[in-house]
Amino acid sequence: MKTTILSFVTVLLLGLNIALADGSKEVKIKTSAICEMCKARIERNLGLSKGVKESNLDLSNKVVTVKYNPEKTTPEAIKATIINIGYDADELPASQKAHDKLPSCCRKTAAAH
Amino acid sequence: MNKYLLGGLFLLISSCIYAQRITGSVNEQEPQTKSLKPITGANVYWAGTANATATDGNGRFSIPRSAQSALLVVSFVGFQNDTIKIGQESELQVVLQSDQTLEEVTVRAGNTSIDRLSPHQTEIITTRALAKAACCNLSESFETNASVSVSYSDAVTGSKQIQMLGLNGTYIQTNVENIPSIRGLASTFGLNFVPGTWIQSIDVGKGAGSVVNGYESMTGQINVELQKPDTQEKLYLNTYVNNFGRGEVNLNLAHKLSDKWSTGLLTHGSTLRNRIDKNGDGFLDLPLYTQYNAINRWKYQGDKLMAQFGIKALYEDRLGGQKDFEREMKGTTQAYGFGARVNRYEFFSKIARLFPDQPYKGLGLILNASLHDSKSYFGLNNYDGTQKTLYGNLIYQSIIGNTNHNYKAGVSYILDHYDELYKDIRLKRNESVPGAFFEYTYNHLDKFVMVAGGRVDFHNLYGTQWTPRLHLKYSLTGQTTLRASAGRGFRVANPLAEYYGNLVSSRSVMFREAIRPEVSWNYGASVTQEFKIGEMSGNFILDFYRTDSENQLVADMEDPRYIRFYNLEGTAYANSFQAEANLTPIKRFDLKLAYRLFDVKQSIRNVYDDNVLLPRMMVSRDRVLFNAGYALPYDKWKFDATVQWNGKKRLPYMGHVPDHHVPDNLGSTMAPSFYNFNAQITRTFPKWDIYLGGENLANFRQKDPIMGASEPFGQHFDAGMAWGPVVGRMIYAGMRYKIIR
Repeated sequence: MKTTILSFVTVLLLGLNIALADGSKEVKIKTSAICEMCKARIERNLGLSKGVKESNLDLSNKVVTVKYNPEKTTPEAIKATIINIGYDADELPASQKAHDKLPSCCRKTAAAH
Repeated sequence: MNKYLLGGLFLLISSCIYAQRITGSVNEQEPQTKSLKPITGANVYWAGTANATATDGNGRFSIPRSAQSALLVVSFVGFQNDTIKIGQESELQVVLQSDQTLEEVTVRAGNTSIDRLSPHQTEIITTRALAKAACCNLSESFETNASVSVSYSDAVTGSKQIQMLGLNGTYIQTNVENIPSIRGLASTFGLNFVPGTWIQSIDVGKGAGSVVNGYESMTGQINVELQKPDTQEKLYLNTYVNNFGRGEVNLNLAHKLSDKWSTGLLTHGSTLRNRIDKNGDGFLDLPLYTQYNAINRWKYQGDKLMAQFGIKALYEDRLGGQKDFEREMKGTTQAYGFGARVNRYEFFSKIARLFPDQPYKGLGLILNASLHDSKSYFGLNNYDGTQKTLYGNLIYQSIIGNTNHNYKAGVSYILDHYDELYKDIRLKRNESVPGAFFEYTYNHLDKFVMVAGGRVDFHNLYGTQWTPRLHLKYSLTGQTTLRASAGRGFRVANPLAEYYGNLVSSRSVMFREAIRPEVSWNYGASVTQEFKIGEMSGNFILDFYRTDSENQLVADMEDPRYIRFYNLEGTAYANSFQAEANLTPIKRFDLKLAYRLFDVKQSIRNVYDDNVLLPRMMVSRDRVLFNAGYALPYDKWKFDATVQWNGKKRLPYMGHVPDHHVPDNLGSTMAPSFYNFNAQITRTFPKWDIYLGGENLANFRQKDPIMGASEPFGQHFDAGMAWGPVVGRMIYAGMRYKIIR
């Protein structure tokens, strides 16, 4: 019984450790996000990808600010993630296949709202 | 969409430095024109104090500076609160952000939260909180909730019961999408019939409920909202397996047919095929079972009309008892067996007429028909029951003059047909109950809310029933809320379905008289205090409730040879006191600590037919719950752990009773206290989650949960006295896969 509790506590603390470890870099990438749904989609998908700690998209200038661990990922990999979600990432155009799967309001042809 | 970003707070600092009053205006921003519009009647107060004012017709306010607080809070219904740190400025312009969309999205997606606006003391258990414990159905959805506790009913059937305010779950009105659903014969296994992945959220209301949903809420009401056909997730697949060999698959599909029409399918299949007897008493610790369960529903959402209808179908088969019992041995003494087969079919529809120009107005009709059929056996005893129910509720909602005065009025009809046969005891009744209700809500700036409701029901068997209920809410400040409620509840008990687990025994069932309906009065009061210290936020809730029974079904098990059912002659009451603290010390880290005290007593007739007030059996006086959860951003990793401590419970006398001389006072024993420890880890990927968790990690088991297990056909057999976990540690793992629209 005690060992089980202990191991769970250890895992919990490990989790905290991962969360609090620092040494992160930051990159700003211009996207083709249009609305709140785009923002939520990009932030979530980036947030869940490898090495990314935080992502924050500013809809007024469409720039996503990504905090990442340089030992686990690179700005190139982050851009690749963005285009595979269906959005442009700086000079890289969105993956057409992923873009066509987005709801109509989030596609590049959609009027700003 | 941009209004959240554009809205916010503008401070206009004036040159007047030492003004003794703060003046200013409160506005909202028009989404189209971006122009500012004054808000009349917004609350402006100093945080933590009673100094408050409201804005006038031009949105202007003036409030004296406060020595105790430098935080000025501005609030208005439908808008997010704004807290402003006041320095030397004396003129403010505040722009509130609308939270209409936010409320639905954020609150429902967050953790367990307290409904701040509701005059009823209501906790909302969200999808997120439900995901904390992956398993499995409604009965297990309250693991991290302090108000509702799960009680073990017996050591054989695997049915689980819940308790609230010290009384059984049968005294809670349990609705599925506002349709009274888990009642009557379904109260035995009904909580197992709502799979966890179908649930979108659960509202847990303590104390008397609203009269709109009927007269049956005595200690509280639970409303379960299921996943909607027009949800964001068009496919949701959940699989689950545990170390006992229980497997489960849930598949939810949602499809939008057009702008207005959508359809959804919720399915569930689960099974346990392993014979487990860890405590070596020769009995299965968990019954073998198979369940298939599905709902198909259709939704039409127009501007003026909203309609939903659907069908539910359920099949469940359970087999338990001695380890080597096979279905073919039923009715023999080769081995003791338990079996239960439930078929349940349901049709429901909800139609609402909307008035787009008058959003306060509405007309709704709820219709429901269900057929519940169960066939069970306990050793040599058979128990069959069917229940047919028709339910209709027509609700009209509008205002008197202005939106400070709301009312709901309507008529309802319920038809119940019960037919039960246990051994040679036949219980048959038809209930036909037309009723009418009226509920008035007075709302003064959300600061003071009063809900006064009453209903009258014409019961064909038990005469006219009046059900008055009253709820009050007063917000002392933006952080402190007081609530009080009082009301009458009424229900007709189904003794055999409600004490089903006790039928797995050699006790003889005796009805000493015709059972009258149960009537109770519930009174309660609560204080909710929210606080924020720097980054740390949280709340503290204290509540006290008392339920006084005018009549109660007494299930007397003081003599181990019988279950005697009779009406209450003396008094019966249940006092419940609860203190709960929720704290978020840092972002995404939640702590909950709760203590609950029950004082529940019931008059039991002794051998001389005198009434003796005894503590209700199987109720822990004390319970402590601690829950800690931590999540990384976007829930990439989620960690959750819960510890519960359940205090001692009274058990009836379990020893031998000599036939020729029954002692005056058989006495009773106390079941020991125990801990329960659960934990879970979840890893989220963009499209799927995986989880690993454990229940009862401390591996605590009740010693000998079955009395006389070696002689199940003898006189001392009783499996209905389980007060703790029968099975030991359970480890489970599973996967959720989602395709978002």
